[in-house]
Amino acid sequence: MVTRFKTAINTLASALVALILTGNAVLAQPTNNYEPELAWDGNPDLNGIWQAIGTAHWDLQDHEASAGLPEMGAIGAVPPGQGVVVGGEIPYQDWALEQKQENWANRLGADPETKCYLPGVPRATYLPYPFQILQGTGKIMIVYGYAEANRTIHMDKETPEAAPLDTWMGRSHGRWEGSTLVVDAQDFNGEAWFDRAGNFASSSLKVTERYTPISPDAMMYEATIEDPAVFTRSWQISMPLYRRLETNARVVEYKCVEFSEEILYGHLMKKAEE
Amino acid sequence: MKCRNVKTETLGKLVTASRNFLVLVAFFSLPLAAVAATPHHITIALSNTSEAVNWYEEHMDCQTITGRDNAVSCGTAEIEFLLGATVGGSQGTGVDHIGFSVTDLDAKMNELENVGVQGSGVRLLRFDDGSLVRDIPGLFKIAFIFDPWGTKIELVQDADLLGFHHIHLNSVDPVASLDWYRQVFGGEAGSLKGMLDGVQFGDIWLLATEYTDGRPGITQGRAIDHIGFEVADLDEATVQMNRLAVEFQQEPIVPDNARSSAKQAFIRGPDGVLIAVVEPGWAGVEEEVFIADTSESTELYVPPQTPWGEPDLQGIWTADAAHGIPLQRGIDVAGTDELTPEEAAARRERGTLNSIWGYDREWRDTTLGYVKSAPSTQVAMVIEPSNGQLPETTAAYKEVVANRAPRIPPQRARTPVDLGTYVRCITRGPVGMMMPSIYNNGLQIIQSPGNVAIQKEMIHETRIISTEPREGFGEGLKTWLGDSHGRWEGNTLVVEVRNLNGRTSYLGSSEEMKLTQRFTRTGPNTMEYQFTVDDPAVWTEPWTGMFTFVKDDSQYELVEYACHEGNYGMTNTLSAARAIDAREAEAAAND
Repeated sequence: MVTRFKTAINTLASALVALILTGNAVLAQPTNNYEPELAWDGNPDLNGIWQAIGTAHWDLQDHEASAGLPEMGAIGAVPPGQGVVVGGEIPYQDWALEQKQENWANRLGADPETKCYLPGVPRATYLPYPFQILQGTGKIMIVYGYAEANRTIHMDKETPEAAPLDTWMGRSHGRWEGSTLVVDAQDFNGEAWFDRAGNFASSSLKVTERYTPISPDAMMYEATIEDPAVFTRSWQISMPLYRRLETNARVVEYKCVEFSEEILYGHLMKKAEE
Repeated sequence: MKCRNVKTETLGKLVTASRNFLVLVAFFSLPLAAVAATPHHITIALSNTSEAVNWYEEHMDCQTITGRDNAVSCGTAEIEFLLGATVGGSQGTGVDHIGFSVTDLDAKMNELENVGVQGSGVRLLRFDDGSLVRDIPGLFKIAFIFDPWGTKIELVQDADLLGFHHIHLNSVDPVASLDWYRQVFGGEAGSLKGMLDGVQFGDIWLLATEYTDGRPGITQGRAIDHIGFEVADLDEATVQMNRLAVEFQQEPIVPDNARSSAKQAFIRGPDGVLIAVVEPGWAGVEEEVFIADTSESTELYVPPQTPWGEPDLQGIWTADAAHGIPLQRGIDVAGTDELTPEEAAARRERGTLNSIWGYDREWRDTTLGYVKSAPSTQVAMVIEPSNGQLPETTAAYKEVVANRAPRIPPQRARTPVDLGTYVRCITRGPVGMMMPSIYNNGLQIIQSPGNVAIQKEMIHETRIISTEPREGFGEGLKTWLGDSHGRWEGNTLVVEVRNLNGRTSYLGSSEEMKLTQRFTRTGPNTMEYQFTVDDPAVWTEPWTGMFTFVKDDSQYELVEYACHEGNYGMTNTLSAARAIDAREAEAAAND
């Protein structure tokens, strides 16, 4: 009780601070009493370079170690890891579970990541590459290390605008709820996967992301996944994101196209003259 | 049945016209004793009228009209061109195409094939068997081409009617549609060669084909924006059309920018066809001229600051205004420092047409009137050396060029590497990525304290430039776009690009190249961009280019260009090259 009470007071205090700074009412965040550094706009300062650590990029769910391409030896093997799905289960519809298993079986040629295709959301977040957040005026940009992927999060639209067309990275509208950046992402083209295990969604995917600072160098990333065409209910993933602390940390450009060309066009290439 | 009331002795004229577009308008003059209205004009939407006038003069034997720089006369029809935005070609709209008749179609197609598709060229449509001309027994020979602005044109060999021949409609109900035109405008129901039902206005046929793929597209905003008919008395015709329950989009008025005092009305025909009805003397409208943003005085303008106190470059910018500026000063502009706005508009159009003709008009940012900025009047990008020419290349570089293996043409490409990094959707390189192109000229800048992100729409590339002193990449790390070190010099963002991997080259630049870029806001909507290339291995002195980005937040948004993901061109090019290999191998085996 006492703890809860304290939390409530802290939350109220930070809400008041936010209210004073922004003039907007904010919702309380009951799970977190860390008071983040504030950016120029009075909102939590998420500027910087961040990265997920873990094995979610291999498989969102619990997974044992497994073999990769034999010629890659232990480097190519899939390391074991604990899942990031809240409750553990991804509630696939029957057909979709079969599709997921098929994706897994065919993953070497079918995973968009092997082809250096854009990663989609939320996959971009926990690929094993850093990404940089820039909190600009009216927009937040996230620039990902993988495949020149990027997102513009519109913070300046009173009502969300439909994307002119479906895309890999979708369209993102954001808002602050207390110290949490909440991003609604949708209008996806349904081509992206969630991980290297073949987890996937369709173009009716809607992702609600929550970025909540929990210490100067970490924030919690929670994403609610809704896709009535693929799942029987919505589900969530949750993982921390860590600030890259190297003094010279950069998101280093990684243009992976050339490494996908053998997979994509190898059958159309002229073999060297013998 | 009320057609006679509309005006018996008038000339029927087909008109296409619209506010913002370059539209093809065909005006048709009919023999006096004919029926009510006469087809008057067809209006084609495009981005540069003089190119279009030349094209129709050269290829369709149309004549210029004295005092009108945006129309041609083609026999009994006029074609009017209106500047502006279009959203696609004519095919599939209510007015699918227009027809011209020539005396020798095979010779004509041979001639057009030699014109090619580059520049203000001609795109030919081949039939399934690969032929260009098809002989329809009992009718005549036919062929299809497209003008550079997306207008579909049927060429026929009908000795009975040479020159402008017909207007071909798409209709969900051709019989009803043709009947509508006959009722409203007169004309005579008939059958072309006893094979195609139509309505004839004077010589000119109005034909209709049943459209089975839903409804035809609305013409307004497409290459053939509208067609026009002339009536002797528009007020009287209006009464008549009201009686026929014709839907008006615009009541008769003399448009503000009209060239004569003749009135014009717009009505909606069947199948989404916009129709202008004009009075005799109608001479089209003056083109809408884009007003150049001339606020280029760098001294006076104080750019806004970000809330945290740095110069604010944020927003959506485009290089569309700069499209067409040559890198080096051409000999044709030796005596001038600046083009006239008309010359600039013509140059941009040529630049657009010359870049990739094979792309339909809807691809091209710069032809569509999406662009709100006037074409730049700058004579060349190079500002240093001051003669506008690149410096002399070094002796060593000349030797490299002399000994360089010839470039492998795309149709012989062995692997994607032979096709270059742009075609591979990797990058246009640190210099090239900023250059204006025919599409995807958007540039988005977002800043956070100490950082400027510059995102280019083409291919989709983002550079994050730190404006604070920092440790750079070590020597062992080089990338396609390098390591950008930024700083503010007054209100100018200065970026030094280091650690380039040298795998792309701009006009021969080597991996020794040092690139320095400068971004300066010069007005509320203008940002001057300078780039200095210092590459002593190639050029005997550094050189600097400059052009201006124009802010376009109100209408432009960067849309994800998933270039590599949709690179069907790569698959198609390589498979074509392999097919050529196989054909040659087979021929060699048979020898």
